[in-house]
Order: sequence, then structure tokens, then C-alpha cells
Amino acid sequence: MAAEEAQRSQETVGDSEGVNCLAYDEAIMAQQDRIQQEIAVQNALVSERLELSVLYKEYAVDDEIYQQKIKDLHKKYTYIRKTRPDGNCFYRAFGFSHLEALLDDSKELQRFKEISAKSKEDLVTQGFTEFTIEDFHNTFMDLIELVEKRSSISDILGAFNDQSISDYLVVYLRLLTSGYLQREHQFFQHFIEGGRTVKEFCQQEVEPMAKESDHIHIIALAQALNVSILVEYMDRGEGGATNHHVFPEGSVPNVYLLYRPGHYDILYK
Amino acid sequence: MEGRYNLKSPAVKRLMKEAAELKDPTDHYHAQPLEDNLFEWHFTVRGPPDSDFNGGIYHGRIVLPPEYPMKPPSIILLTSNGRFEVGKKICLSISGHHPETWQPSWSIRTALLAIIGFMPTKGEGAIGSLDYTPEERKALAKKSQDFYCEGCGAHMKTVLHPLTLDSNSSRADEEAKELARQISFKAEVNSSAQSTTEPLKTSSSNHSFATVESQLEDLPRDMQEESPQVKAEIQNTTVSSPEEHAQPVPAGNIPASPRRRRTQPQSDRRVSASPGLTQAQPPRMNAGSTILIVLLTLALAVLLFRRIYLANNYIFDYEL
Repeated sequence: MAAEEAQRSQETVGDSEGVNCLAYDEAIMAQQDRIQQEIAVQNALVSERLELSVLYKEYAVDDEIYQQKIKDLHKKYTYIRKTRPDGNCFYRAFGFSHLEALLDDSKELQRFKEISAKSKEDLVTQGFTEFTIEDFHNTFMDLIELVEKRSSISDILGAFNDQSISDYLVVYLRLLTSGYLQREHQFFQHFIEGGRTVKEFCQQEVEPMAKESDHIHIIALAQALNVSILVEYMDRGEGGATNHHVFPEGSVPNVYLLYRPGHYDILYK
Repeated sequence: MEGRYNLKSPAVKRLMKEAAELKDPTDHYHAQPLEDNLFEWHFTVRGPPDSDFNGGIYHGRIVLPPEYPMKPPSIILLTSNGRFEVGKKICLSISGHHPETWQPSWSIRTALLAIIGFMPTKGEGAIGSLDYTPEERKALAKKSQDFYCEGCGAHMKTVLHPLTLDSNSSRADEEAKELARQISFKAEVNSSAQSTTEPLKTSSSNHSFATVESQLEDLPRDMQEESPQVKAEIQNTTVSSPEEHAQPVPAGNIPASPRRRRTQPQSDRRVSASPGLTQAQPPRMNAGSTILIVLLTLALAVLLFRRIYLANNYIFDYEL
């Protein structure tokens, strides 16, 4: 028995040494990869449309703040479409929600297509390298054409769940956001924390994948594409109802998103 | 090459485009995929003219991940240069702990300019970095021109265009410096390192030594290198002005880690008799303590067992 114990303690010694051997940074990265994989297995990049009532089950029955807020949300919205919480959810949610809405709005579709087609030139003029951004732009335009051909929702959903197409769309929307922030840097400079320039902010918080989005990203993208976005904010705050905010202020929204700390999903009336 | 790759793959599409874009050498850099592998490139960069690397022409490999450009390329120098270790993977930092992160709209050209821009910055004990003296670097720069790469058949003397002083060329210089301010290099831990003294002593006439990686350098040292403290150093020193590079770093400035000691200028290194001695010490100490722990544990087990045996003598009725 004691011998067994000795062996066990030997093992623990070996184990802890093994952990130390792994460089911290690499270990953290490996763990992040594992977490990402787990998230990927459990969540589609963009899910099917679900009854909003699925939200009730995500919180404990006695979690009154959230249960009450979901109830309130339910008065205004009927369905939800979830996105994978991978740091790119805002862009994916926005992209899908808007393209889906364009299926029934050919006038807006034409306007959106035009502005999107022209957007690459603007980025190139600003100094982005044409041959590196054109693949992302082409993917974005292909998706818009998919909508123009009046493809079924399941085709569009399929494209959004194809990792490489979906990620290229995210890259392009990030580039558009970065481009707009940099064009309007004099205005946005006031909202950037940590003494960084707008350009530095874009290189650190906008263009790299998996960097989460905040107000400033949403305002920039909404204005870059001239699309109005409404975000319902649901958190532990008091009040029994979600707060919403429209970007840009005072516009008529055509994309509805639900924000819960760190994550965006798509809402439907 | 077109026939062998799936042109629908975003990485293949992009790399084909980059290969076409970089087909002609400039006076600063050149890079092309190997004939038989679109995902491995060889590159050549010219050392920045206003630095100790002036006149140097440096050669290396770029390895592209299948997810490129969503994931960054890895870069391996093959020419001794006194700034980056030879044969060790340095990759654009992708760690979430660093503010400088790979962007899919960057390209191989961005990476090449980043290397050029990064050469005159201080190594500061970062992994994969070397802080050789200006004299050593100048000597290596001169020597680098004789390098011939057997892998891609490039002669350093002829692979780049002669240096011109037109606007394009100085723009590339500016871009390189700008990039060096944004990007940080970080070594991959799993690729084992060259021993520090080797690059100086080894002839640069072929690069096969680059792949013969020193097995001496095993995990325990990597563990110490990657301590948060050292990481912080790396982060803090990414923005260092080119003028600073020539100064030998004052010793008391930065907490001495084993890594730090390893990257002292050559004069310091010569004092520590043989390279094997300093290098092997941390692992040996570690192995020693492990053996000690195991032995003590076993001894304890034997004592415990004996005690139990004695206490229960009347139950076990056999001879020990």
C-alpha cells in the first residue's frame, strides 16, 4: 500500500514537472485551441432560426433578472439565430442578418451591392494592398450575388457555415470597419483608450481575427455600409427590461442583434 | 505548379497570387516558393543600409500553414546574421498576450519587410534573438554574400538587384521600419534551437547545419525562457529605435534569466569556458533533483513498508 503511495507520489512529481516543461504561452495557446474546438463542436457558425423561448432554458429558473428580461424581450421579438462565440460573432451576425433581409428588398440590395463593390477601391486608396484584400472582397461580393440570385436561406446559411467563406466575409467586414475608422480618425480618436492612435487600434483590435467588437466597431461598420443596426443589451443590470441602442442614432434599423456580455446573436421580430 | 494544387483552396489561390507578385527580385528582397512545394518559400533580404547589417544579404525559409492567410507564416533564417538565431523558427506573434497580432491582409511581402525592419532592433534576450556586437554583425554581413543555398540554388551575390537610391527603394525602407514598430517576432518553442556559439563558428557555405538541431537544448530550458517575466521583456522592447542597437545592454538593467545570459555579447560568452558547460547546466540540475526526489521517495516507501511489516508482524507469517 505504501509502495503504491510512493509510486503515486512519484507520478505526481513527474506530472507537475511535465506541466512546468511546457512553456506557459504555448500551454495557454494549446488550451485556447482546445476551447475553440469545443465551442466549434457545440455551436454552428450561424444556427438555424430558433424560437426565442430557447433563451429561458439558458438561465436558472430562479435567475430572476435574466428570466424577467427574456420575458420582456419576448414581447418584441419572436425568433433568435445564434452565432458561434468565437470573437467574430458581431461580424457574422451582422453579415448574415443583413443579407437575409436583402432577400426581400431588391432596392436596398442594389444600393448595398453598389456601395460594397466600390468599397474595395476606397480601401486601396487608403493604402490597403489590393492583391491581399481582393480575395476577401470577392468572397463578400459572391455572397451578395448569392442573394441576388434569390438563393434559398439554406444556401446562404450553408455558405455562412463554410469556415473559409465565412471567415473571409469576417475579414472583409473587419477591413471595412478599419477603413472607416481610419478615414474618420479625427472623430474616432476621442473614443480610443490607452493612448493609441486610430491606426494602432485598428491593427490591434479590429483587423486581427477573433478580436471582439464594441460600440466603436459597430458605429463604424454601420456607417461604412450605411446600414442601421439595433442592438438589444441584456445583462445583469437592474430594470427588468433590455436596453437597446440604434447605430447610427436615429436611423430606422434593419438588423437586430441581441448582446449578452461578450456575445452577439441575431433577433427576429 | 498549377496542376498539382486545388485552386479552390483559398490558401493556394492566395499563394499563387503572391508568387506572381513577388516573381521579380527588388533591390531589397526576393521570395519564391520551392519548385515542389507552394507552402515552402525561400527568401532573400538585404540588411538595412543604415545599420550593422549594411552589405549583408540574408537567406531563409518561409513555411506557410494550410490555413494561410488566416494563420501567420513561420520564418527561419539560414544565414548567420547576429540578430536572429539560425535554423530556429521565428513566427509573427500570434499569441493573445501580445498586442501585435497577425492580420489576414498582410502578406509574405509584409513579413519580409518586417524582418528587414526588425534586424536593427534590440534582441533583448527574446527567444530566437541574438545580441551580437556591431563588429561581429558587420563581419557576418560581409560573409553572408558568399552564401549559396543548395535548396533553391540562390547565390546571394546575384539574387537581389543592386541597391539603387530611387524613391521606391527608400519607400520600402520606410515601410520596413514602420512594420518593425508594429510586429513582434516570437520563436516557436517546439523547434529546438541552435547553440548560441555555433552560428559564428560554422561556415556559411551551405545551410545543412540549420536542420541539424542541437538536441542538448531540451525542454527544461524552454520552460525557463518562457517565464512571464521574459515575455514581458519581449513585449516591452518591441519598439526600440534603430540607433540603440549597437549599445551593449547594461547588465543590471534586466532581471538575469538563463536566456539573458545566453544572449550576452560574444566577449561575455567567451569567458564562460565551453558552450556545453553553461548550456547543459539547467537540464542537468533538473535531472539531478528529479533523481534525488525519486530516491528519497523510494527510501521513504521502504521505511514505511518496513514499519508496517513490523507493526503487523503477527499477521504476515513469512520471512522477509
